[in-house]
Amino acid sequence: MTEKTASVFRYLAYTVEIILVFVLCTTPRLLPELWGAKPCLLLCVAVTISIFEREIPSMIFGIVCGVLIDLGYSNAIGVFTVALTVLCFVIGYAANNLIRANFTNFIICSFLVTASVFMLYFLFEYVFKGYTDPWSYFTQNLISRMAQTFVCSVVFYFINRFFYRMISAEE
Amino acid sequence: MKEFLKSTKIKILLSVLLVLVMLSVFTQNVGNNFVSTVINGMTAGLSSVTAAATDDGKDGLSDQELLEEYKKLKKENADLRAQLVDYYAVKSENVRLWKFYELKKQHPDFTLVPAMALRRDTNDEFSAFSLDKGSSSGVKEGDPVVSETGLIGWVSECDLNTCKVVTVLSPGTRIGAEDTKSGDTGIVTGSSKYAYRNQTVFSKLTYSNQVEVGDIITTTGVSGIYPKGLPIGEVVDLGYDTYDSSYYAVIEPYENLKKITDAAIIIGFSGQGEILIGDSGE
Repeated sequence: MTEKTASVFRYLAYTVEIILVFVLCTTPRLLPELWGAKPCLLLCVAVTISIFEREIPSMIFGIVCGVLIDLGYSNAIGVFTVALTVLCFVIGYAANNLIRANFTNFIICSFLVTASVFMLYFLFEYVFKGYTDPWSYFTQNLISRMAQTFVCSVVFYFINRFFYRMISAEE
Repeated sequence: MKEFLKSTKIKILLSVLLVLVMLSVFTQNVGNNFVSTVINGMTAGLSSVTAAATDDGKDGLSDQELLEEYKKLKKENADLRAQLVDYYAVKSENVRLWKFYELKKQHPDFTLVPAMALRRDTNDEFSAFSLDKGSSSGVKEGDPVVSETGLIGWVSECDLNTCKVVTVLSPGTRIGAEDTKSGDTGIVTGSSKYAYRNQTVFSKLTYSNQVEVGDIITTTGVSGIYPKGLPIGEVVDLGYDTYDSSYYAVIEPYENLKKITDAAIIIGFSGQGEILIGDSGE
């Protein structure tokens, strides 16, 4: 199997994964709610794909996941799309040129991406819009959501690492 | 690094970013935009399938919670059903009491005890029946029993909670009565000859009586056993009794005594008098 063919199959696998995760997130009463929030699984998928793929595919999958996240709660393209586009591109470039795509680096990247994306979301959707008492939303909901998303990204790391190792060009 | 920043990939990133920012501004300011329409349209089918698949009608309740809610609703239903039965009983009693309200208005001195017919005496061919009131309600033997249309009988036996009523169709009944129109007096007593037709006999009429068909016969109240002026029935026929050479009138009570369901017992009235002797007074 050539690299190109393997890439196509991996992208197909990622696409199916994104669809399944989207279904998982949007199905009522399927995901349990812990401490008033649910994890953002599409963000986990976008970050884990980025650690294994190159910049442009990472960016594209980041765009897709971001759009699905944004349109899940509004009819507008928002923070998640723009932030994941840039961050997934950066992680894709860094994982292929600057750092090794191992678990430790992934944890650091996942933490940074999760924190920055949710902080941007908090700023643009709560602070800049002038909502009252945004701090209580941050402590009662957002921290829990960030923590759950970070924990779930570990699971997706191993899933996508499996995809990457199974569907790779023979060396 | 400089080369990377000038590379095609960065240009692609910047281009895509520019487009996304423009789309973001566009979609933020235009509510029903084509972007959301397209994306939501693509995902709507998927969402409806997953929503339908998980819609078990439980509305977020667990099986245990549903079971508890079912038991609670079942108990509430049983309570409501009991209340409904009670409501109908109260309603029918109210209807029954209203029937005797007019009688009470016409005779404010009457002390009435409304009662319901419990059963009929199968050995009695004169439509005797039992009522659900007894001595505990102040009922005693000899008390007149009335319906909203008039006198229908008297209490022959009485225990604590029930009493037996002998109707005006019975030969054991003897009531002093008068024709309201002609003033002729006589005795109302039952006869097996007429009882099956729900009729009784106004007997012991004088030769010169002026009783006519259609006349209303009422109680005289002379003996103090029955109140004065209680309607007994209407004359439907006139006859002559060759046995004792007296005239009589056949009276039909206003009530079908075979179908009495409720009545009122007059336990007290102005002029109530002598002790009942034998089967009845007079």
